[in-house]
Amino acid sequence: MTTMPRARASTRSRTVGRRGPAALAGLIACLAGAAPAAAEGFDWKRYDGQTINLVLTNHPWGNAVREMAQQFTDKTGIKLRIEILNEDPQRARLNTLLQAKSSDVDVYISLKIREGAVYNKAGWYADVTPMLNDPGQTAPEFKLDDFGAGLIRNETFGGKLTGLPINVEGPLFYWRKDIFAKCNVAVPEYLEDILDAARKIKACDPSINAWAARGVRNAVPYPMAAFVFNSGGGFKSVDGTKPGLCRPESVAGLTLYTDLLKDYGPVGATNHSFPQVVELLGQGKVAMTHESSNEFSNIMKYPGREDDLGIKILPKGKASGVSQPIGFGWGLSISEYSRRKGPSWYFLQWATSPEMQATLVDRGVAPSRTSVFEGEGMRAWASQKPVRQQWVTAVSEISRRGTGDYASPTDRVPETREIIGRAAQEVVLGQKTPQQAACDADAALLKLQ
Amino acid sequence: MSTIASPAVTIAPERARRGQHKISFSWMVWPAVAFVVLMMVFPLVYAAWISLQDASLGTEPRFVGLDNYLNLASDPEFLNAFGVTWLLYGVALTMQLVLGTWLGIVLNGVKTARHLVRTIAITPFMMPPVVVGMLAIVILDPSVGIVNWLLGTVGVGPLLWLASPRWVLLSVALVDTWQWAPFVGLIVLGGLQSLPASVFEAAEVDGVIGWRRFVYVTLPLLGPTLLTAAVLRSVDLLRFFDLVFIATRGGPGNASTTMNMYAYQQGFEFSRFGHASAAMLTLSLVVLCTVMVFARLRRALSY
Repeated sequence: MTTMPRARASTRSRTVGRRGPAALAGLIACLAGAAPAAAEGFDWKRYDGQTINLVLTNHPWGNAVREMAQQFTDKTGIKLRIEILNEDPQRARLNTLLQAKSSDVDVYISLKIREGAVYNKAGWYADVTPMLNDPGQTAPEFKLDDFGAGLIRNETFGGKLTGLPINVEGPLFYWRKDIFAKCNVAVPEYLEDILDAARKIKACDPSINAWAARGVRNAVPYPMAAFVFNSGGGFKSVDGTKPGLCRPESVAGLTLYTDLLKDYGPVGATNHSFPQVVELLGQGKVAMTHESSNEFSNIMKYPGREDDLGIKILPKGKASGVSQPIGFGWGLSISEYSRRKGPSWYFLQWATSPEMQATLVDRGVAPSRTSVFEGEGMRAWASQKPVRQQWVTAVSEISRRGTGDYASPTDRVPETREIIGRAAQEVVLGQKTPQQAACDADAALLKLQ
Repeated sequence: MSTIASPAVTIAPERARRGQHKISFSWMVWPAVAFVVLMMVFPLVYAAWISLQDASLGTEPRFVGLDNYLNLASDPEFLNAFGVTWLLYGVALTMQLVLGTWLGIVLNGVKTARHLVRTIAITPFMMPPVVVGMLAIVILDPSVGIVNWLLGTVGVGPLLWLASPRWVLLSVALVDTWQWAPFVGLIVLGGLQSLPASVFEAAEVDGVIGWRRFVYVTLPLLGPTLLTAAVLRSVDLLRFFDLVFIATRGGPGNASTTMNMYAYQQGFEFSRFGHASAAMLTLSLVVLCTVMVFARLRRALSY
């Protein structure tokens, strides 16, 4: 889904080459040039001829790595066998393989804020610290402290480093500048303004959906969480010991999210996840959405969107004064049952290197390394279009202030998402009031503790 | 020369032959037994064992007896899934048997380009379920689907199809019927071609033609064939998963969460292996009982 069509890819590479983020190219060249000098003593060919198995998700990062796999093989002699699956099937596959302690998977992508605690308890993550501290295994230019501290914290369980962060992401507020201008609507400054803006846009141009967002049960909490936080609520009680969706402020956030979806969203929104939202936004049928920063490059492929979209983090709550964006990173981990941990660690170093991250920026993967995020190359790339600059600013903000903790107090995070998403669906479908749905959800969430 | 052959010589090879037969029979059956034990009995027994434990990811399994089954019986989500499964089964099976029978009769009557028509007719069930699910999304999505766009061109407002709790099961049943009614049609076609021509000739002589011939002659004779088709479709329909997984994720709400989807969620998304095993074994029991009922019916209807 995220693989760039050939024609478009070549256009893009020409664009990069001509108008070019010269500084980005310079940065890559500089890093690439500097690497051999720094790594003279490091044996990248130590595991020449070995093959490692990767189970990745259908994510811009995984798709890009598959295309660049040959570069890794050329550098190390290690071959990659890559399997890319959608998130749920990937987890199902890991369940099957790792529950059986199979050594068939060496490296896999994992979302630590979701399944990290449980996977760690099950012993599925290898501790990469010993390899990190071994100069024979870790290239001298590899700097762990270059990663965002919060991201490394997400990868750490009880002092055990279970992987390396590969990106930063979170939902962002996208709006169509041209529609707002045409309808003479001000860009929402506060969370509550979104509803007013939607109302005005619907009245001004009924042919367009004023709003779109995820409505599928387990996909809802991701874009809805910031609505709850910015309304002054949360997913835990004030003392943090019990579920908190039934708190009045949380109900206000739930109400706003579901009102937008129900009254201003596309028909059938309860079946929509990011593919439908991106498609509608890309096709120009939506005025506003709260969708993943990761989808930026996909949205930009549609004609016109580079010029008419605006991006920022979700506005803060007017009544609460709170602005709490969602932000976290996916991590790359080595299986505890892998028999090829050495070559796997080599892959982790290469895949999270500054050179790789600089290259992946053009595919909409926000880097997890500070040196790349704040580097000259990123600045040059962003300066080409206002929308890119807005995206960089917003992602930078979620990487600084974002939270990935939007579940009730339990390790059973996937179930909490299902229950919270279900509550939102019940409101959208008119089966319950927001208050009823939220309190029923809390009762169900309490049973998970 | 043959008359002077000693009786001992003739008896010995016979004994040897009998002995050989005995040995070869018992020896040759073992690979099959081993296969059945390894591939069928062991997983079933293992699943039954897991279903008696509180087995979740990251925790030590603990024997809980029948607790998982009792929890299922009191879990509104499972009871909903049970109801959804049977409702979907009833609607889809009825549609597929009716349409399949009609299709079989139509195919039986086709004389021109017979092979081409049959090939086209069976194409849907040759398609992978994932493709059918994706097609369903592309065609039936209320916002971006082509059906609502076509309806819009003639002034009909958007229908919710897969996005409405009221219509989602019917929509799913329709898509499944589109795919599998031709399969039933093919079975019916085979059944029709094996029916004795003399019965139809006799009916014609007696003046039983048209609709009456279909109701009083063809349909009763097709009974066993239709039951075979019903058994084959029952197994798939009761285990319904692919289409809802791809097109609705069991939603909206839990309106299309079948028992299989429920068990998948419990096992693979929530990592509650004991609970999921109990749900899967319950589903297996439901499938087994249904097939046994149809098998008995089939025996009763055999002519």
